[in-house]
Parts: sequence; C-alpha cells; structure tokens
Amino acid sequence: MRLLAICVGLCLVFLFVWERVDMVRVGYQVERLKQEKTVLERERDQLRIKVSALSAPDRVAKVAAERLGMTPPQRGQVIVVQAGPLMAPPMQSAPVELRVAKHEPVDVRR
Amino acid sequence: MAGSLRRNRRYVMLLVLLGGFGIVLFRLVSLQVLQAAELTVKADRQHQKTVSLEGARGTIVDRNGKVLAMNLEVPSVFGVPTDVDSPAKTARLLSPVLHVRVSELEQKLRQDRRFVWLARKLDPEQGRWFDRTRVEGIGVVMEGRRFYPKGPLLSHLLGFAGMDGQGLEGIERRYESDLQGEKRVTVLQRDAKGRTVFSKGQQAEQAPASGHRLVLTIDEVIQYIVEKELDNAVARAQAKSGTMIVLEPNSGALLALAGSPRFDPNVLSNLSPDRWRNRALTDAYEPGSTMKAILAAAAIEERVMKPETLVFGEQGSMAIASTVIHDHEKLGWLTFAQVIQKSSNIGAAKAGMALGDQRLHQYLQTFGFGARTEIDLPGEVTGLLKNPKAWGRRTVASVSMGQEVGVTPMQMVTAIAAIANGGELMKPYVVSEIRDAQDELKRQILPQVRRRVISRETARAVTRILEGVVTEGTGGKAAINGFRVAGKTGTAQKIDPRTRAYSDSKFVSSFVGYVPADNPRLAMIVVIDEPQGEAWGGAVAAPVFNRVGEQALSYLGVSSSEPVKLAMAASGP
Repeated sequence: MRLLAICVGLCLVFLFVWERVDMVRVGYQVERLKQEKTVLERERDQLRIKVSALSAPDRVAKVAAERLGMTPPQRGQVIVVQAGPLMAPPMQSAPVELRVAKHEPVDVRR
Repeated sequence: MAGSLRRNRRYVMLLVLLGGFGIVLFRLVSLQVLQAAELTVKADRQHQKTVSLEGARGTIVDRNGKVLAMNLEVPSVFGVPTDVDSPAKTARLLSPVLHVRVSELEQKLRQDRRFVWLARKLDPEQGRWFDRTRVEGIGVVMEGRRFYPKGPLLSHLLGFAGMDGQGLEGIERRYESDLQGEKRVTVLQRDAKGRTVFSKGQQAEQAPASGHRLVLTIDEVIQYIVEKELDNAVARAQAKSGTMIVLEPNSGALLALAGSPRFDPNVLSNLSPDRWRNRALTDAYEPGSTMKAILAAAAIEERVMKPETLVFGEQGSMAIASTVIHDHEKLGWLTFAQVIQKSSNIGAAKAGMALGDQRLHQYLQTFGFGARTEIDLPGEVTGLLKNPKAWGRRTVASVSMGQEVGVTPMQMVTAIAAIANGGELMKPYVVSEIRDAQDELKRQILPQVRRRVISRETARAVTRILEGVVTEGTGGKAAINGFRVAGKTGTAQKIDPRTRAYSDSKFVSSFVGYVPADNPRLAMIVVIDEPQGEAWGGAVAAPVFNRVGEQALSYLGVSSSEPVKLAMAASGP
C-alpha cells in the first residue's frame, strides 16, 4: 500500500514536471511559428506592393505601347451603345449598356 | 569512557547539522522574506522584456480597391558604439551595404553613446545581408515604412508620411488618427538565451491592430489620364505649373486631382515644399472669364438678364470709374447668351452692374467663394472675396469678369458642378469609406448637399448658354465628339509683384465645364499657370478638357448622346 502511494506520488511529480517542460517546448514552437507568420506576412505585403507597382496605369500603357505595339483607339473607334427600346424586350426594367469597339484598320507605322 | 565519547560525537554531529540547517534557513528567510522585494525586481528585469508594439499604418486604396499607399516592415540598422572594437573596419564593411559614406558611419560609431542609428528603413533586399552576416555591435530592427507603389500618381492628394510614420501632408495628414496603427506596450517572458517563452497563466499576445483602410472616391485610371494630359499641356505651353480636378457633379465625389509638375512621395529628399503643395486648394488665383458662368447664373436667377436680353458691346471699350474696360474684339449688340459665349468683359460688367454690389456678392458667397469648400483635405484657403462695403466704384465690373476676387480651383469646380447638377452646391469629398483591418465598415461618407444656389430652370438656361461657349464661342477646343459639352474659358492677367499692376506677359489660362451637358457625369477644371506664347484659355486649357473628357467618358462607358463623327482611319498598303 505504501509502495503504491509512493508510486502515485512520483507519477504526480513526473506529470507536473512533464507539463512544465512541455509547456516551455510548445511555447518555443508557438514563438517560432509566430516568427514564420511574420516573415510570410512581410513577404505577402512585399508582393502586394510589387503587384500594385506593376499594374500602375502608366506602366501598363508603356508596356502596351512599347512591347506589344498597341496604340490608343482613334477618335470614334470606341462607341458605347445604349440598348434602346427596339432592342430591349418590352417592360425591361433597366437599359443595358453595351461597349462596342469599332475595328478600323489603323496603320501603326504612321 | 567509550560511551561518553560516542555520545559527545553525536551531539557534535547534531550541532553541526542544526547549524547547517540554521544557516540554510537564515539564507532562505533572508532571500525570500527580507530581500524579497529587491530580488523580485532583479529577477523580473532578467526574465521580462518590455516591448512597444505598433500596428501597421492603414492602407489607402482607390474606389476600385487599387493600392495607392501601404506599409511594409523593413530593416533599420543601429550600432552600439561601446561594443564596436574597430569603428573604421566596421564602417568600411557596412558602407557598401547601407550605401552610406565610410566617414559618416565611422563618425557615428566613434560616438560615446549606447545607441546610434546607422541607416533607417532600408530596402528589404539590403536587410538580407544582415541575415547572413553578424557584426559585433551592430543590430537590426524592423520598422514600418510607407510605400507609394504608383510613384508620383496622385501624389499631391495623398501627401506623405514622415520617417516615424506620422502623416505630414495630404490625406496622410488629414486622416492621421484613422490611419495610425494601435500602439501598445507589453511585457514578454524570456529565457536565459533571450528567447520569448510562455509562462503559466499568460495569455497569448495578440498583435496590435493595424490602422484603418481608407477607400477613396478617386479612380486610378481617370487620375492617370488627367496627369498624363496635364503634364503634356504644361510641357507644351512651357507653363510654370498646372492643376486639374475632375469630380462627379451629382455627388461631389472627386474622381481625380492632379498638379503638374508632380513629385514621387517615395523619394522626398531635396524637394522643396513648393513642389508638394496641393495648389488646387492652397493657391487662390483671379479666375478671369470663368467667373462669367457664375455671373450668368446670378443674373438669370435674379431676372436682371434673360439669355436673349440685348446688351450693347460698346464697340470694344467702355469707361468706368476713370478706367477703361476693353474686350478682345469690337462687339456691337449681343444677346446676353452671346456675352458669355464671346466672353465680353463689357457685357459682363453691365450684367454685374444690373445686379448690384450686394446681390453679386451674395451670389458669389452662396456659390461658395470666399469660404472653404470643407473638402476632407488639409491646407485649404478661403480665397479672397471682399466685403461689398470695401468695394470701389469699379469693383462690381471687375468681379463680374473675374478680377479683384481670388478663388481656388476647388471652389470654381464645385460652383460649376452646382450649375451642372441642377442648382445644388455639393460638399466635395475624397474619402468614401473607412474600414478596419478586418474589412469591417467603420464609417461611410455620403454625398452632402450644402445648399441650393439656383433653381433648376436657371441651371438649364445657364447650361444652354455654356454649351454655346463650346459650339459657337471661345471654348471650341473643349468639344468632345458625340457629347454635349458646357463650359467656360478664362484668361486672367496675373498681377506683377514688382509693379502691383496687371502683367501683359503673365497669364492664368483655364477652362471649367461639364459633360455630358444634358446628364452630367464629369465636372472638370483645368488651370494652367503662366503659359508661354498663346495664352488663351480656349487654346491652352480647353484641349486638355477635351482629351481627358473623351478618354474618361469612354473608360466610364458613358454612351454618346449626339451623333458620333467617325474619324476615317488611314488605309493604305
């Protein structure tokens, strides 16, 4: 009986020590993961800024013109057409706007 | 004999043990009771670390969620001079990494201090060198740095934040309290190696909240179009500067605000404050003939003029209060609509005199001149609108043609927007939503009517007159294919600071108007300061209105209200 009590006592002591040690171990793990998270968040923000800079309208316009040879549409080449009553079914609630690009042959060498 | 010796030995042992325990007990009491307070403080100092945490500054986005300003954690490098063995050697090692001169670094490292900044807020790439290399007496901390990924785009409106993350100009300054991240001081437990550990009962430390996100009414694409065309116009006219504002007349929401020359808020060194001043709000100018649009609204509302009322143009010159007012051409009988369309100073002066000092002043005040528009941006001035008691005999004529009165571009475009939307003066605004880090809406800013300034009928009549300015008058170059445009040109002489008289060579050329005239989507003002050569507002500013209007309407998908004249593309081999 006494032996059993000693064993239980020892187990409780070991359990207490294990709990303390494990808590410290998990604490370190949490700290490491938090640091990893911070690094990843920093990387994400860096990429977000990069995406924003790369999609800036002046850069897009420059790439379109210089790399792809695109030019702004000429006057009258883009016509926004609003669907009228003849095109729309009767009692339609809201008119639908259509954007139509009019394809005119443009001599880009000029 | 032997028994007493053994007994004595026992007593000695007992005394030794008791003495030993006594010493331990005494030390225990001394440590745990007598010195408890002092030692607790010492232990805490070793195991606890007080750190101040600061949430990231809030992001600023345009109305489509495009990022315009954002914070990023970047490395800052500091030195502990007392721990540096060889300042010269360390300075030589760090100089190419930090891009700071060796002599400057060495001088800092020779200081008799415990802490000195060597380089703050470096590029993330520069910080990677310190991940690989350890240098005695040199440390790295992460700090928030403000990035403006679009470079100079919208720079005059965004402003910028300082080295310590505080907003100094523009939106950054006006919304400082919303943008600022949460600041908190917290105590962390650390082990012998300085690593952070959790102790029993300690709550997991939450990161401090980031600042709020500002959603602007600005459209990045329209802003780009405005800046591109304004820069081109300023360069073409070899002008001192230029300003342009685009807003929605029905809501007062700003779609674009640009100043030329621009600046990059990422690179502020060597720039004078003059460069980043938001002239749309801080600089009042004499508007010249654009003021005739407001005069027309007042004269028609007060029924002192109708569009068809005949006014004599005095063949180009008229004496008033011992001075002479001139027109740019000899004009005879004109309708009041033609007075505005041909921009007759004499006709405008007569309309102003018919209104009288008090009524003209009252209308200018009602349209918002002489007071701030209360837009949510810093640095706005009131302009200059003198009390009628201080007006001279010529002032009513001068004010009618836009002299002796100082306005800001923002006041003028807000006033023209009131005519465009049918007579309601809107409060201009640039931030539409404020959201927290979890994207929860904290505040929404809605369009706000300040007051009705003219009736709908008057607004319609003035719109027809202003359409005539573009179809038959001085503003022909503002015409946009497929749309009805209403607007007014302005060419104001600047006052020469030396002579205190109107200069013959320095002008402010402007155009203010809206499109489509029948259902306005855009109200715009273009102001070009000191153009060289031809300085007429119709020649310098109106073409900018045309080019921006054409591209912006196409981008917004506004359908044409008028027949479109198709340009025949060149066809050939």
